[in-house]
Amino acid sequence: MNTRLTAGRYVGQAVKRIEDPRLLAGRGRYVDDVQLPNMLHVAFVRSNVARGNIVSIDTSEAKALPGVHAVYTGDDLNPRVQQFWHTMIGPPIEMGGQTHYAPLKPLAQGDVRFVGDPIAIIIADNRYIAEDAADLVQVEIDPLPAVVGILNGARDDALVHKEKPSNISDTMPIPEVPEVEALFATAPHVFTRRFHQARATNVPMEPRGIVVHYDRYAGDMQIWAATQSVSEWRSSAARLTGLGENRVRVIANDVGGGFGQKMMVTRDEAAVIMAGHLFGEAPIKWTEDRRENLMTANQAREEIFDVTMAVTDDGTLMGAKVFFWEDIGSYPAGAGAGAGLAGGVFPGPYKFPVVLPGGSAVFTNTVGKAAYRGPWMGETVAREQMMDHVAYELGIDPIEIRRKNVIKAEDLPYTTCTTMVYESVTPSETMEQALEMLDVDAFRAMQAEARKEGRLLGMGLAVYIEPSAIAFGILSSDQAIMRMDNTGKVIVAMSTGNHGHSLETTIPQVVAEHLGCDINDVVLVQGDTDSSPMGPGTGGSRSAVIAGGAAQTASLRLKDKILQIAAHMLEASPEDLEVNNSVVSVKGTPAKALPFAMIAPIAYQMPEMLPPGMEMGLEVTARYQPPGPFTWSNAAHVCTVEIDAETGHTKILRYIVSEDCGRMINPMVVEGQIAGGVVQGIGGVLFEHLVYDDEGNPLTTTFLDYLLPTAPEVPDIEIGHIETLSPTLGGYKGMGEGGAIVAPPAVANAIHDALRHLGVHPTDFPLGPSQVLALMNEAAQA
Amino acid sequence: MKPSSFNYHAPASVNDVTALLAEHGDDAKVLAGGQSLVPMLSLRLAAFEHLIDLNKVEGLAGITRSNGTLRVGAVVRQAVAEHSADVATSVPMLAKALPHIGHFQIRNRGTVGGSIAHADPASELPAVALALDATIEAAGPGGTRQIAAADFFVSTWQTALDEGEILTAVEFPVWGPGSGFAVEELTRRHGDFALVGAAAGVQLSGGKVTKAALGLFGLGPTPLRAAEAEAALLAGADAAEVGRVAASGLNPLDDIHASGAYRKQVAAVIVRRAVQAAMQEAGA
Amino acid sequence: MSDEVIVKLNVNGRDHKVMVEARKLLSDVLRDDLHLTGTHVGCEHGACGACTVIVDGAAVRACLLFAVQLEGSQIVTVEGVTPGDGTLNPFQQAMQDCHGLQCGFCTPGFVVSMTNYLDNNPNPTDDDLKIALSGNLCRCTGYRGIINAARTVAGLPVPANAADGSDH
Ligand SMILES: Cc1cc2nc3c(=O)[nH]c(=O)nc-3n(C[C@H](O)[C@H](O)[C@H](O)COP(=O)(O)OP(=O)(O)OC[C@H]3O[C@@H](n4cnc5c(N)ncnc54)[C@H](O)[C@@H]3O)c2cc1C
Ligand code: FES
Ligand code: FES
Repeated sequence: MNTRLTAGRYVGQAVKRIEDPRLLAGRGRYVDDVQLPNMLHVAFVRSNVARGNIVSIDTSEAKALPGVHAVYTGDDLNPRVQQFWHTMIGPPIEMGGQTHYAPLKPLAQGDVRFVGDPIAIIIADNRYIAEDAADLVQVEIDPLPAVVGILNGARDDALVHKEKPSNISDTMPIPEVPEVEALFATAPHVFTRRFHQARATNVPMEPRGIVVHYDRYAGDMQIWAATQSVSEWRSSAARLTGLGENRVRVIANDVGGGFGQKMMVTRDEAAVIMAGHLFGEAPIKWTEDRRENLMTANQAREEIFDVTMAVTDDGTLMGAKVFFWEDIGSYPAGAGAGAGLAGGVFPGPYKFPVVLPGGSAVFTNTVGKAAYRGPWMGETVAREQMMDHVAYELGIDPIEIRRKNVIKAEDLPYTTCTTMVYESVTPSETMEQALEMLDVDAFRAMQAEARKEGRLLGMGLAVYIEPSAIAFGILSSDQAIMRMDNTGKVIVAMSTGNHGHSLETTIPQVVAEHLGCDINDVVLVQGDTDSSPMGPGTGGSRSAVIAGGAAQTASLRLKDKILQIAAHMLEASPEDLEVNNSVVSVKGTPAKALPFAMIAPIAYQMPEMLPPGMEMGLEVTARYQPPGPFTWSNAAHVCTVEIDAETGHTKILRYIVSEDCGRMINPMVVEGQIAGGVVQGIGGVLFEHLVYDDEGNPLTTTFLDYLLPTAPEVPDIEIGHIETLSPTLGGYKGMGEGGAIVAPPAVANAIHDALRHLGVHPTDFPLGPSQVLALMNEAAQA
Repeated sequence: MKPSSFNYHAPASVNDVTALLAEHGDDAKVLAGGQSLVPMLSLRLAAFEHLIDLNKVEGLAGITRSNGTLRVGAVVRQAVAEHSADVATSVPMLAKALPHIGHFQIRNRGTVGGSIAHADPASELPAVALALDATIEAAGPGGTRQIAAADFFVSTWQTALDEGEILTAVEFPVWGPGSGFAVEELTRRHGDFALVGAAAGVQLSGGKVTKAALGLFGLGPTPLRAAEAEAALLAGADAAEVGRVAASGLNPLDDIHASGAYRKQVAAVIVRRAVQAAMQEAGA
Repeated sequence: MSDEVIVKLNVNGRDHKVMVEARKLLSDVLRDDLHLTGTHVGCEHGACGACTVIVDGAAVRACLLFAVQLEGSQIVTVEGVTPGDGTLNPFQQAMQDCHGLQCGFCTPGFVVSMTNYLDNNPNPTDDDLKIALSGNLCRCTGYRGIINAARTVAGLPVPANAADGSDH
């Protein structure tokens, strides 16, 4: 079934994870595990109304509570902020940049803009006392009507940010192209649908957290944080406080998941940094609690897609227009809008002659939007559901309409109508593999049998191409700093982070493979700005491709130097040498050999034994920038479900994935990423829904309300692989986000298939039992 | 999410508990398994100056069978009751309800008495107590009294216990041969509080239903006894009809997990399934 | 504020004496006072299972207990279910073999819960296992490797399709 490349000694092998024993034994080092002498603890006072003017804040009682060291409000902290912006997005317009930021201030000042908006920050002996003090801060707020709902927000009846002329932060109308209008006017069929995703949130199991230690005499700041990117945090902390970047050190040891939520410094964390800077005495720690996480960490997926597709009678795609409405809440991370990329990648795996995208990002009085595993994924959610709606309108099988339009091997290289270039993708092959794994005919027969008994079975297919390893601006490259020590062992430092991506194992796999050493002799150092190079961190399905490329390049450079030294000592030419198991030997004469452990001390201690003119030491650096702005991977997902006709409850029967992520460094890790993403995607359709009422009150601030899938709800995920090399150095393709991107439409399409004969054609998430039964009732009455 | 401060008391006898309650009035709260109370304290939805721990109180932890009833002490852990052979043979409806509560780690600490005293309308055990006409034993400053389950559940999280009283035990009637029981519920995920739930018991004699019990949960402000549906069952109605009758009088509210209309519609289904399963177990 | 009280705790076989407020949660006492940071806090309302510890032989939520309640009890944490000599217990080992963890934050809760569960239920069915796992949330793995780890220890078949880890 699988189309696999030949595995190397390490690359391509399911190497067990190096990081596991410490994590399994409870010896991980997460930010809340940091305990420092004299450390104090932080709690926030937050708004309990979504929009309103602050009439007064009285902190006197809180300040008087024994054990409380400081209470700061916006008046204390905000004026001290030097600059507050994110490197990836660039400075705001006022500072010569191009980005419309929400007016970012660490704490609310004057007014509040969502429930959870931080108003004051308490520093106390421990979190218990800090929360006692937070209860004692008297805040009087004059409430105003809240802006809730994308389309309400777009009406501009009330402004979320009074500094802004409109609630529409960013807008890009669908271009008016007369030829395309003519095409739509004369096309045999034009269908329009509005799809609605449900607001969800990343929910890393470790909430956010930060320890800030600023010593006003030493003049430097040390930060421990749950972040995906220590470099970005150092830059942000330096900008906020005005300290030099070289005076700020940021450490992220183990991080308990991020999924995009821990990429950028948000207002809460900025407030802790500013409070630590002002306090200047002792380290302070803020550990976000789960209620804060569900109320004030960023959210995503509150999106509406208006899709219009023109097709011929036989289902050949003629063109599409798609408009993305995004609810970016009050304070999105960065600018919040993902429509630009979503529009560009909308064609996905199909040969669309034309796609015209547009979008609007709308501020509302809810928590801000951030990246969540595939921040542009609405394109796939909209497109893949639309393919099924169009197929059913035309009376064509959803499989057939995809077969007719999908990009095939003979079409490559293929440039999409939105100018994306695919050189090495296999959407058709993965689709066929997934369908074969299912056995469509057998399923259809089972479905027909079941239907006779009134049982509702359905299958859903979704195909997509993932723009992985996005490489422009600060995202363009990653660096490896590699050192072989005196004993022949290797340390490689990278800008990546450990929040579950297994890089502590996969980067050593790449290094050991290319350097020719034992994997146990390689250690990855990451997540510390003092030892790791500058780089954007881990996120955006980039690390295998870009960090992997840097590690591979550094390994080859180091190997090259080792070979030159060995050649000099063995009086051979480097071309005649080979490396096996950390030993350099002359090809065909294994007796003439030198282990790394002998070469390394020579490099450091015996200049006279080195080739003339060679610099001492075994240290190399390599920065890798992939050849294109995207490295495309692709996958097809097939899901089958049974819906309880009487309760609307959906049970997933089988879930099948066929994935092409290029050369797999570690198939076990690849499968782990797929499974995790798929279950997040399933969650977004069947369980997860971050709900606000009309006044902007969050109604899902505990895990009894915001429902993550658990073990009994998930099927055994069956995974097939196709490995085709990407044009990048190692032939790798990123795949960290794909599972979460395609699973939602695969599940929705399966539900659609199970119900369409009843006249049910779902377009909105969530599709929990209550919603499904309501759709069935509606159709029965129609 | 840290609780406000309180003084902790771990009395050894029921008398000490009631004395502490008398002394501190509504500044005091009793703590059993803590599986509902502690989250509320940590979320600061509730705060008390005094917490009175029942876990070390003598005499609250036993399960005893005596003529026609099974007495379950207040702090019997849900997991202990779940694995008790006495419960399984004497009160199968209780045994069937227990595994639906949360997860095994919750039941390892949560108590039978705590669940009933907490009186969550979506909880299984209050509905079981109501369906089976259990008797709640309460101890107060003036001694103990018996409260019929029918009188116990006053409204959401409100019971007939007086301020100075605690629940000390629950007595479940033991049904005779020819009985069958079932607990059916619809949850979003395994272990969640029910969107819609039903506990059914029937006893058959000569192929006819001679005794019927039907408790509903998740469908109103308290657990509900479906008396009309029980009557229909006794009158020989089929399970589907019993479901319709049970659902007809309901008026459940909307929440984020399901609309009231949904709950009402699905109640008929869940009751039917519970009745069918109970009938089948009874040998119908 | 109420006064601090002296609490004697037996954790992982060792006696400890700490001075804490009565309101201090067991999870916080283990982490802050005894520096046993393997017990993680993911929700503080009993729903995620990251804080699971074993009290007198039964797996429970440490975030729903006050340390002051546990004088005289035997508490075992993830540090205590780990052999300590650098090896892993059978469920931990199966977790590594089956890729049952990614970020590792939920992991101690799963390890404690399932070590306790499998000790008490050596012959579960596949459904039993999934239900036993339902009290622990994981956001990274989709539960695939965790379920397979539990199956491995329980001697139940693991779907052929899963790529298992190999030693190097
Ligand atoms: C994640 C999770 C999932 C859950 N799922 C479910 C579920 O599906 N179904 C379900 O029914 N429950 C569920 N629960 C709640 C659980 O069953 C609790 O154990 C139960 O509600 C309360 O019992 P307790 O012993 O823990 O009581 P506590 O939490 O200690 O007390 C609850 C309340 O009852 C009072 N009380 C306790 N005992 C007495 C007494 N003897 N006399 C007078 N008052 C008393 C307390 O003062 C308090 O007000 C869940 C809990 C969690 C954390
Ligand atoms: S922290 Fe205790 S269950 Fe989540
Ligand atoms: S491994 Fe990250 S939450 Fe489970």
